[in-house]
Amino acid sequence: MHAEAAIREPLILGHKTYHDVTEDIVRPIENKAPRGWYILMTIASLIAAYGTGCILYLISKGIGVWGLNKTVDWAWDITNFVWWVGIGHAGTLISAVLLLFRQRWRMAINRSAEAMTIFAVIMAATFPGIHMGRIWMAYWVLPLPNQFGSLWVNFNSPLLWDVFAISTYFSVSLVFWYIGLIPDFATIRDKVTKPTMKKIYGILSFGWTGNAKAWTRFEEVSLVLAGIATPLVFSVHSVVSMDFATSIIPGWHTTIFPPYFVSGAVFSGFAMVQTLLLVMRKVMHLEAYITKKHIEYMNIVIIVTGSIVGVAYITELFISWYSGVEYESYAFINRATGPYLWAYWSMMTCNVISPQLFWFKKLRTHLGFTFFMSIVVNIGMWFERFVIIVTSLHRDYMPSAWTMFHPTWVDVGVFLGTIGIFFTLYLLFARYFPVLALNEVKSILKTSGESYKQRAATHHHH
Amino acid sequence: MSSTKRIWMDAADLRQDTEAIKARESEFPQELAIDQVLGDANFNGAHTGRRDFLKFLGFSLGAATLAACETPVIKSIPYVTKPEEITPGVANWYASTFYDGQDFASILVKTREGRPIHIKGNPQFGINRNPALPKGVVNARINSSVLSLYDNERLKVPYSREGRSTWADADKAITDGLNAAIAADKRIVVLTNTVISPSTNAAIAALKARYSTVEHVQHDTISYSGVTGANLKSFGKRVFPSYDFTKADAVVSLDADFLSSWGSTTEYTWQYASRRNPDGAMNKHFQVEARMSITGANADARIPVKPSEIPFAVIALHDAIAKKSGGVSVGGGMDSAELNQAADALWNARGRSLVVCGSNDEGVQVLVNSINSMLGNYGSTIDLDNHTYFFQGDDAVAAQLVKDMNAGAIGAVLMAGVNPAYSLSNAAGFKSGLSKVGLSVSFSRYADETASLCNWICPDNHYLESWGDFMPKVGQYALAQPVIGKLFDTRSWQESVLKWSGSEAKWNDFIKQTWQANLAAHSAGASFDSVWNQSLHDGVLASHTMPATPVAFAGDLGTAAAAAKQAANGASEWELSLYATEAIGDGQHANNPWLQEMPDPLTKITWDNYVCMAGSDLMRLADGVMRDPEDALKVGEQSPALQVKVTAGTSEIVLPAIFSPGQKPGTIAIALGYGRGANGEKVGKAACTTDHNGVFGSVGRNAYPFTSLRNGSVSYDAVNVSLTATGETYPVAITQTHLTHMDRHSIVRETSVGVYKAGDRNAYNKPHTLPVHEDVNEDGVIDSRDRKPVAAFDLWAEHPVEGVGHRWGLSIDLNSCIGCGACITACNSENNISVVGKDEVRRSREMHWLRLDRYYSSDTKWHEGREAGESKISLYTRMEEPSERPTVFFMPVMCQHCNHAPCETVCPVAATTHSNEGLNQMVYNRCIGTRYCANNCPYKVRRFNWFNYVSDKFGEVNPAWDDLGRMVLNPDVTVRARGVIEKCSMCVQNIQAGKLAAKKAGTPVKDGSIETACSAACGTGAIIFGDLNDKQSMVRGKAEGDRSYHMLEEIGVKPNVNYLVKVRNTEAETA
Repeated sequence: MHAEAAIREPLILGHKTYHDVTEDIVRPIENKAPRGWYILMTIASLIAAYGTGCILYLISKGIGVWGLNKTVDWAWDITNFVWWVGIGHAGTLISAVLLLFRQRWRMAINRSAEAMTIFAVIMAATFPGIHMGRIWMAYWVLPLPNQFGSLWVNFNSPLLWDVFAISTYFSVSLVFWYIGLIPDFATIRDKVTKPTMKKIYGILSFGWTGNAKAWTRFEEVSLVLAGIATPLVFSVHSVVSMDFATSIIPGWHTTIFPPYFVSGAVFSGFAMVQTLLLVMRKVMHLEAYITKKHIEYMNIVIIVTGSIVGVAYITELFISWYSGVEYESYAFINRATGPYLWAYWSMMTCNVISPQLFWFKKLRTHLGFTFFMSIVVNIGMWFERFVIIVTSLHRDYMPSAWTMFHPTWVDVGVFLGTIGIFFTLYLLFARYFPVLALNEVKSILKTSGESYKQRAATHHHH
Repeated sequence: MSSTKRIWMDAADLRQDTEAIKARESEFPQELAIDQVLGDANFNGAHTGRRDFLKFLGFSLGAATLAACETPVIKSIPYVTKPEEITPGVANWYASTFYDGQDFASILVKTREGRPIHIKGNPQFGINRNPALPKGVVNARINSSVLSLYDNERLKVPYSREGRSTWADADKAITDGLNAAIAADKRIVVLTNTVISPSTNAAIAALKARYSTVEHVQHDTISYSGVTGANLKSFGKRVFPSYDFTKADAVVSLDADFLSSWGSTTEYTWQYASRRNPDGAMNKHFQVEARMSITGANADARIPVKPSEIPFAVIALHDAIAKKSGGVSVGGGMDSAELNQAADALWNARGRSLVVCGSNDEGVQVLVNSINSMLGNYGSTIDLDNHTYFFQGDDAVAAQLVKDMNAGAIGAVLMAGVNPAYSLSNAAGFKSGLSKVGLSVSFSRYADETASLCNWICPDNHYLESWGDFMPKVGQYALAQPVIGKLFDTRSWQESVLKWSGSEAKWNDFIKQTWQANLAAHSAGASFDSVWNQSLHDGVLASHTMPATPVAFAGDLGTAAAAAKQAANGASEWELSLYATEAIGDGQHANNPWLQEMPDPLTKITWDNYVCMAGSDLMRLADGVMRDPEDALKVGEQSPALQVKVTAGTSEIVLPAIFSPGQKPGTIAIALGYGRGANGEKVGKAACTTDHNGVFGSVGRNAYPFTSLRNGSVSYDAVNVSLTATGETYPVAITQTHLTHMDRHSIVRETSVGVYKAGDRNAYNKPHTLPVHEDVNEDGVIDSRDRKPVAAFDLWAEHPVEGVGHRWGLSIDLNSCIGCGACITACNSENNISVVGKDEVRRSREMHWLRLDRYYSSDTKWHEGREAGESKISLYTRMEEPSERPTVFFMPVMCQHCNHAPCETVCPVAATTHSNEGLNQMVYNRCIGTRYCANNCPYKVRRFNWFNYVSDKFGEVNPAWDDLGRMVLNPDVTVRARGVIEKCSMCVQNIQAGKLAAKKAGTPVKDGSIETACSAACGTGAIIFGDLNDKQSMVRGKAEGDRSYHMLEEIGVKPNVNYLVKVRNTEAETA
């Protein structure tokens, strides 16, 4: 076991033994859930049910129940889609990229971040499905052999690339997440006493023995998957951004989109991780594992990506002026001063200005403020997508076709519904799955645990 | 082969079990226990075992599943004896004639399998024929009239006060009633709109022969009594003259919307457009008016004046001309430099000029006659010898009739083509008079405002089910023939009249007899039958025009001027002018959903009438009512309009107020023809609809009560009008909420005739170029002057374009487009476009494949502002505001069929593709509805089926909804389902049909043999369709001209539709 520099702050606070770690993580699974869980679950599932109802209503009546029109053919649907995909970025980034960079602080947060990714991508994938006029033909976007003479998909279409990008990302994320879960499921299997649970976790753990060979393979597979997943982190949102970047609509047609979208996605993803973890940490008493240091690290990522996003916004404005293109110039001036200026300035405030407050250490280590900021950033990122999609479309080339977009109750209902479904899934995860990668945490307990580090330090001094 | 081999069918056969074999032979064995089982008293309570239950369940489920697998078979029954002229799948075209008292047109009716489905102008014959193209002019009301044939609210049998009746009962009761009127020595009045049918007149004469007190009174819903009256006073002829705009170098129109609603518009439009070609001699057009009309929108100079000032403007013009010609001045005219310019233009073009005036005041019209007379226009641009037979109504006679009815002097009244209880200013007087008439009969097709008050309704046929003859002008004859059998138990009203006069003649025989008598002279050398058949085929009879002669003006100027001045009746704070819209006209077609959903060419509003106001006035009115008075200007979608109460005299109505740029401040304008069926009368499907509060009621409000009888004729202006905001708002459905073009010169290009004639294309139609890194201009340096046209750049391999097969395209001449919108309704009819209703239009979801963009000019110009150092933000904001006196730009926009179509690349399932003939195709079956194509369309021409517009949404107005309305559908065009995108196909069905015809004939496709619905409907020749690869084609010629440009050329999508720069006959460059 290698020793870690003393000046590195410990990642696990207090004195924890391996047994303590197991206990802390498995306790909520073994015991009855706290009342808070039931309350949250009720609220989330009610919202989920309402949203599902809205979706069914949408599918039965037609897309017209949304507020879209002849000029603005996408609005909340694709805004929500991009927003959810963006949120889905943090998980894989944390688990794959940080794994490759050997950032150990990821171990406390990667499990829940990955779960968040999976659920967010599911929510994201809902929208391209339900926003189709004929969802029952949705399988036509897959390049399946067929009898329509054989009719293929259009490989020129960025929407098709989306299908591939999202589905690849989802499957790799799912596999990566599940592989990570296997040893932890085995731990639960070995620990629980109820026969049903033992059986279920036994199946889930795929007969994990925990011998050295298994661990070696586990490490190798994790590394390989991290290698596969890392490019996906960048490709997914790049591809999503190409829905816009390859079009000819002023405000969409811009080459800056791929990196701008990726950083925006990481930005919003980390914010959502903060939102979830800050609550979970408190409710499930994980303060020892998810420390202020973790929060601070994530806030630093938020400053960095937020600033990249800010630079991107300003670059867009600059290029719209510098290009001298009449329509481009109008599109951006209209964003900032037109009828949707409130959306633009909400976006600017939430995404560019407010994260800069994290330069103050006091603020970025303050849990309450961090929670508040995580909500602000997610609101801001929702507005970013809304601004890109709606303000570009509503006044593009032909002044005769200019319109406004007015959301209906179904627009709102479907969006809230996906939040409800997301939280329902997340709460189920928190209740039945190990929320921390407990076996991985154990691997750093002796090097990064507070008590062990102190002991080592004392040992050295003497 | 053993002959002993025994064949057995089953075990019983093998065993020779005779009983079983016997049982098999009887098909229905007696011993089936059905009765036993069903008759068992315990059967209902019988216990079904679990296994049985599961069996039943399984069987039912399986059976239901199997049954559901098969689509229901709808049997189509072939003709047992196929009619000779009908070939399934092949359209038949019949020539006929449209006349409804306001419009007249020779038309061609397209029928499929016996159903009329489309109407266009007759390109060969008729007064509405533009000989240069050739094409027949029709307006939206005419080509939409095919839909009203299939209106399920039409009366299907005769009705009496007691309800449904029969023709036998009706005939008996009515002849009794007529005899009773004679017995009481009371007058019998046949009240009709202007009858231009010689046979109808003969039928009325036959009735008069039977009943001596019969009197024929003609009444025009929108009256021209002042015009015809003035001609009586000036020239001794009570007629509406023929005008010839083709000969007019200078046109001054005083409040006459002659391109849309005044006079014989189907003639004037093509005549006028023929003089708007900048390569020929362009006319100079002045329009003096309060409301921005379609005609005003086309004018080179538009002079806004109040309605009360029109007589003084006429006097000013009169005196200016009198001064030049040495005529008698009247004195007291307006002092206006612009009017003097108009007078100069008229004088310089004397003998080749034309002054028309929309006023219905005799005095004013006498002065106008005097002006035209001084200019020597009679015999040239105005023809009184070959006058029309339109607008014969005399308001004084109609007013007298109402008095006589109230006095009890009328014993019977028979009404056809009129709806006085709705359209008379004195409707209340008419209604009370009607109740005092012993026998009242309406021939209306609907139980409308008037018919519902009559003793009898004897529903007339729809005109497409009728025979008819017409004499629109001296020496011009036209025929109408039925193109479908009667859908209901209706009867031509003339046949009813004949019947009651004791004749048993069929109406078509009667017409034939009339013509046989009249035509003897004209059919020398040919048998009548051949003349008759040829005439039916053509839709017209040979015309005989006499040479026009100049006539002497014999009017009394002094009296006329005094009357005119009195007509002005003093100015007031608010003045009102009433007008007829392009879509709804006088209101008789208010039940046509295509027309209700056709956006007004100027305001772009559908499904409502409203108060047109100047922006400053509207803001003043909104002050204190709306949070920001400027909100009152921005109406549409979710921004409601300010509601105002308009009071004039004893009438008041509440309507939304709309900002109409160009409206003279201090004046308002309201459209007639709305508010049909306000008392619950069944006037047709679309005239009433469910409003935003869920209340079913009439569309718009009736403004006829604001008309008044003044100086013996109906006045369509009102002074002393008061206007108050009610404090409420009202949602309005607008298809174009933005007013200006934002100085986007790659969309909108216009110039003045001076700049155009100078011949430098770059001055008014500069092609877009891009700098390249090569020495294009060969000056030895590579710099920003080395440029190539945008057309030279391709991102990827181009679709085969030049010289490969056909390449279909459209050329749209913005100079010929007058903005009438007939193309929109023609497209609706040809392509089965769904009507979506007001609420959906309000949400910007109209389905029209072709729209007519309307842009007002703004005082703020980008370059001027930038040079003056104004910020972009401020400029953009100010460019959204139209001028107080704007020029107007109309632009028909449909799918541009780009060769680099942005929609095609983004569709994930390749549902929209490019044909090898340059068409951008939409494959509805393949579409999954991502709407990415619609987003990526720079022209925003793609339309999405947000709901199932065909059936379960907005059914009450959708023509494709009920069993009858569905008959209007074009079987060549798929009706689109929910969730798919649709758009202009360039009428690919017509292209295919034309190619097939050419192939069968073994010839190349002849230019002009294929038309799109819009190009065929465009009688002014603004929309030309053809093969761009045919070097001789008209469309190619236009595309290669100097005025040709592609919209948004710089984005490189390479459309197959080109536009020709609009050239105004103005001095200054308006670019």
